[in-house]
Amino acid sequence: MNVATTLNPHLVQPGHRLFEGPLRDVADVTAGQIGVVGMPSDWTHSSRLGTRFGPDALRRATTLLQSIRPNGVSVDPDTGLRTAPVTDWLIDCGDAEITAQNVDATTEAIAGMTEALTVAGAIPLALGGDHYNSFPACLGFSRGLAKRAPNARFGYIQIDGHLDFSDQLGAWGSHNHATNARRISELPNIDVSNMVWVGITGWVDGGDLALIEEQGGRVFSAGDVHKMGAAEVMRQALEHAMKGCDELYLSIDIDAMDAGYLPGTGSIVHSGITPRQYYDLLDGLSEAPLGGLDIVEVSPPLDPSERTEFLAAEMLFRILRRYRTRPVAEQ
Amino acid sequence: MPLRSSPLPRMAGHLSFMRSQAKSISDVRSGDLAVIGIPFEDTGEPHAGQSLAPRALRETSVYFGWHANPQFSHPVDIDARQDISTDGLHERLCDLGDISSDNDDAIHAALKAATNQISGKGACAIILGGSDHLSKTVESALPRCQTAQLGGRLDDVRNFHIAPLPKEDGTSCSPDNSANLAAFSEWREPSKPLFVRFDLSVFETSISALCDRPRLGGCDLDTVVQWLGALGKHEVSAIMLTGLNPSRPGMGVVKVGQRLMVTALLAFIYARLGFAKDHPNRQTSKENVLV
Repeated sequence: MNVATTLNPHLVQPGHRLFEGPLRDVADVTAGQIGVVGMPSDWTHSSRLGTRFGPDALRRATTLLQSIRPNGVSVDPDTGLRTAPVTDWLIDCGDAEITAQNVDATTEAIAGMTEALTVAGAIPLALGGDHYNSFPACLGFSRGLAKRAPNARFGYIQIDGHLDFSDQLGAWGSHNHATNARRISELPNIDVSNMVWVGITGWVDGGDLALIEEQGGRVFSAGDVHKMGAAEVMRQALEHAMKGCDELYLSIDIDAMDAGYLPGTGSIVHSGITPRQYYDLLDGLSEAPLGGLDIVEVSPPLDPSERTEFLAAEMLFRILRRYRTRPVAEQ
Repeated sequence: MPLRSSPLPRMAGHLSFMRSQAKSISDVRSGDLAVIGIPFEDTGEPHAGQSLAPRALRETSVYFGWHANPQFSHPVDIDARQDISTDGLHERLCDLGDISSDNDDAIHAALKAATNQISGKGACAIILGGSDHLSKTVESALPRCQTAQLGGRLDDVRNFHIAPLPKEDGTSCSPDNSANLAAFSEWREPSKPLFVRFDLSVFETSISALCDRPRLGGCDLDTVVQWLGALGKHEVSAIMLTGLNPSRPGMGVVKVGQRLMVTALLAFIYARLGFAKDHPNRQTSKENVLV
């Protein structure tokens, strides 16, 4: 399997690296580090395109936001804790090789990278791309986990405006941005009863919803986030996802956030989930046994203001806080 | 039947509202919801582009064309955990196309005649504007109707205004929606059908940047959905959507406005057709509670 994929076509060659981390091969990432895999593909999206530019936008935005943060010891305004930046916590492995007309080839290219990272004990962080690419990212994680810990099982949380649990979608068939969660549910080391959706909004397919809930999966709507509070929703979501499981795979679809705040995504919703609520959801995973994650659906061409990529970058700052900073004792 | 009911990409196939059947106005029956487009705009608007709204609204509506896609089961309102049975929707929802382009007088005459004809058959016209000023033409075609207005220009104090827009006496509607609903009931004359003017400016400007006449202090989506669901339970001769400029400079790619309007309009359509129903056996959101 080809896992040395840092030589890429011009389109996907990263100009920036995520959080300005070093650019190295997946084989150079070691246990405990975050290994970044770009997935600049939107050929599996059924309507509004542009997420192929998402990985580069996330790299640019995290680099910019990082540059204006303190280099030394500082107080984290969200936790109130004194922290210092960690070095060597993240390696950017560049982008997977995307073959626009060949979903299988693209799937294997992405999965090959996340598998290698998982086998090494690193945490794959995959940057979409449309949400289909979450499946190959998780597929590689699943394969890698099976090699590293053959009896281990993983739980799954998807923050999203949509279920993405369809078996088929029109002309796109079985592998596209509406089927990724369904394909993940078919992996051997996960059970639907350990799958949780958070932030679902609007009208969903009744058959898909019934299938999830009949098999023990859990769905928290955007309304639930409003009623119960983001922290409580995520506490329950994590508890449900981790029953009998060893590691968590997290899929962050930015489109759960209300389109009034975040318009630069393929399938906008008016959920009312605010940036603050979204960040609180992610803060609720600060102690979760994160085995792998992805962030998807950042579409820079759909947001001339560029605020979408910065909101998404802030999501990464939140979920990766414990890796990029360490607590410093009070003086 | 829809021209094509098999699954199609949203950008493919015939473009009708929610992939509904195309019909001639002479075939409209009592109880139908008949969609017509008026792709025209007032040259006095601050920006050109409202004439593109009917097409933009239809394109967005295809996303919600559940009844015409056999791949899907049935829609569920995930927040309310309420099944929505759309069986038979394609029997009653139809798209008549757009009013033809002509000189100004002819356009107004055609709109008036179409509205007359649809309401005369006991159907409800869903009119996709276009500029808000065209709603005066629809109003003139429906002399028996009371007009309820969501957003838009305040040009007739007899209308019931649903939005925190200033009234002539200097007061404004209360943000208390239950008080507003009570005021609506008091204003309503049940013997008269309704004409509903639904302008994009009813929404808070921060969530809809595609409006040429933005207003601060507008409604959120939930409030508009509540209102359109409530209005849909009355006898309504016509509802007219106005104020959307899908090519608003710098915002054309975002499509927030049409998504807001179509999402809210669904509440009206489902209420008109009596589709929303409780499903007593479904696992409900009561499981998702504080513990």
